[in-house]
Amino acid sequence: MENEREVLVEVNHLNVTYGSGKKAYPAVQDATFKIYKGETFGLVGESGSGKTTIGRAILRILPTSGGDILYKGQKINGKISRTLDKQIIKEIQMIFQDPQSSLNERAKVSYIVGEGLQNVRPDLSAAERAEKVRQALLDVGLLPEFASCFPHEFSGGQRQRIGIARALIVEPEFIVADEPISALDMSIRAQVLNLLRRLQKERGITYLFIAHDLSVMRYISDRIAVIHKGRIVELAEAEELVAHAIHPYTRSLLSAIPMPDPRREREKKLLVYDPSMHDYSREAPQWRELRPEHFVLCSAAEAEQWLPR
Amino acid sequence: MEHDQLILSAKDVNIRFNLRGKVLHAIRGIDLDLYQGEVLAIVGESGSGKSVFTKSFMGLLDANGSITGGTIDYYGMADGKPLRLSDLKTEKDWLRVRGREIAMIMQDPMTSLNPLKTIGDQIMEAVTLHQGLKGAAAKEKTLEYLRDVGISDPEKRFKQYPHEFSGGMRQRVVIAIAVACSPKILICDEPTTALDVTIQAQILQLLKEMRVKYDLTIVMITHDLGVVANIADRVAVMYAGDIVEIGTADDIYYDPRHPYTWALLSSMPQMGVKGEDLFNIVGTPPNLFAEIRGDAFAPRNPQALKIDFVKRPPYFEVSPTHKAKTWLLDPRAPHIEPPAAVKKLQKEGL
Repeated sequence: MENEREVLVEVNHLNVTYGSGKKAYPAVQDATFKIYKGETFGLVGESGSGKTTIGRAILRILPTSGGDILYKGQKINGKISRTLDKQIIKEIQMIFQDPQSSLNERAKVSYIVGEGLQNVRPDLSAAERAEKVRQALLDVGLLPEFASCFPHEFSGGQRQRIGIARALIVEPEFIVADEPISALDMSIRAQVLNLLRRLQKERGITYLFIAHDLSVMRYISDRIAVIHKGRIVELAEAEELVAHAIHPYTRSLLSAIPMPDPRREREKKLLVYDPSMHDYSREAPQWRELRPEHFVLCSAAEAEQWLPR
Repeated sequence: MEHDQLILSAKDVNIRFNLRGKVLHAIRGIDLDLYQGEVLAIVGESGSGKSVFTKSFMGLLDANGSITGGTIDYYGMADGKPLRLSDLKTEKDWLRVRGREIAMIMQDPMTSLNPLKTIGDQIMEAVTLHQGLKGAAAKEKTLEYLRDVGISDPEKRFKQYPHEFSGGMRQRVVIAIAVACSPKILICDEPTTALDVTIQAQILQLLKEMRVKYDLTIVMITHDLGVVANIADRVAVMYAGDIVEIGTADDIYYDPRHPYTWALLSSMPQMGVKGEDLFNIVGTPPNLFAEIRGDAFAPRNPQALKIDFVKRPPYFEVSPTHKAKTWLLDPRAPHIEPPAAVKKLQKEGL
């Protein structure tokens, strides 16, 4: 299986550090994962775990301090050529968390959505650009007439669609979606999720989906990586991860999520994760495949202990 | 647990706001009985009026809004006499209620604490004001509350400022302040939305402990159906300024009757089957500036009956604990099956 699928993004031993000298803070340490073409890769963690940092590093918004990020086999972090930079700007796009603050309040929708085109397709005339904006708005289920409106005229769900149209217009292959539904109302969430899924089916877009809610991720993602304090602690296929979580952090996360099922909530037991439970003084933790396609960061002793017999 | 003593009763409450000459009918005739010791969750989308409704219990409506009809009675006063909250006008009147009878916890713990005062002083203020303690006794009591809400090393924490606390810890402090007023009803307005899931679980646990220890009645406002399932005894579903369905948590999750409740439950991503579209509610909530005819949800309900567009449904009783405002419960109505997701939740859970 591993060999058949085309790898789109490869992150190898990625380190991202904020600040320098005494104030240096390692936000991401030794992150390694692959994202296959056409899949939805979920990255789950608490606030401050480094999940957004990874997404931003891939987009070249943040400088990396170690490791490689490969896109279609080419290294895209650090110094790269101008042509490659242009290609990445066109092919990798981002959808932001908060539709209330990620749109330029003083620009019309036509400008917000079409701005990217001026950069990647300077050859287009104004009329062609307007046509593309029209099409992008239709694609996300908005009326083309909205192009002449300002962002404040829209509801949260509509604004998020504008954000999606903005990302789509340059025809990206890879989209980093950073908590795209967290700020939305429950009835709107389903609309946006359906839209993202439809676009993936029609255009073969690959997603890196960043979120904190494992129960939602289970539905959206093909594979999920769990990140804690800058380190990826577990990675597996979505159903596998939820059904057979191995790392104690993942397990505590799963137990903490309130499920909309009162019977289950009454019976559940809260697991608390205490990082001091790991004794890594004798043996450093390693990335181990404990079940097929299911990786956990642990020492040999822990692997022995955690795996059900 | 039996909760049969009425502590607050709202009857046909209407709340209107004046916005630049236009009138927004935010709450459209809500009836609600709240019983001593229970946890009632109010769920609904933003704009459904859940915050506005509960704010009216404490006289905290914005200046351009007022209760224009109906009554809210509070039965928890020490003298045993009912107090008509909807008739209170002056700030002085409200001071008898706010904090000491009904307290509130807001969503964002950073904005509800004073950044210039130490945590200890802020809790002690409530202790001094509401329990009449002074000096060393007040401090001792404050430390006790800090311990109660699970803050370790309270002596040291007492002297610290809000910025030295994490989000979860701040929310614990806010809970301590609320509890220190010794209220009977605690209104929690999205208390965990700004927090991480692991911290959220701890705060929910803490609220459950506080409820038992201080004999609180909790009104939990949230849009997270997971949180509701975790903590609520009863659930009220709000839509367009009205409670469209109310019942025990089991009634609402396993035997919902209102099409809006159906739609809410089926659109949860947790109910989704991979590779298939999620159920989604078409359209947008109604404009509350205009008068609503019939069932407010009808325009978004593909199976709406003709009468839904004409006449507003009254409450129909499903069981003594469970009622819903939908014409589907009228004996003359055609039988409409709940959606598959709802049936699945009922039969096998998630």
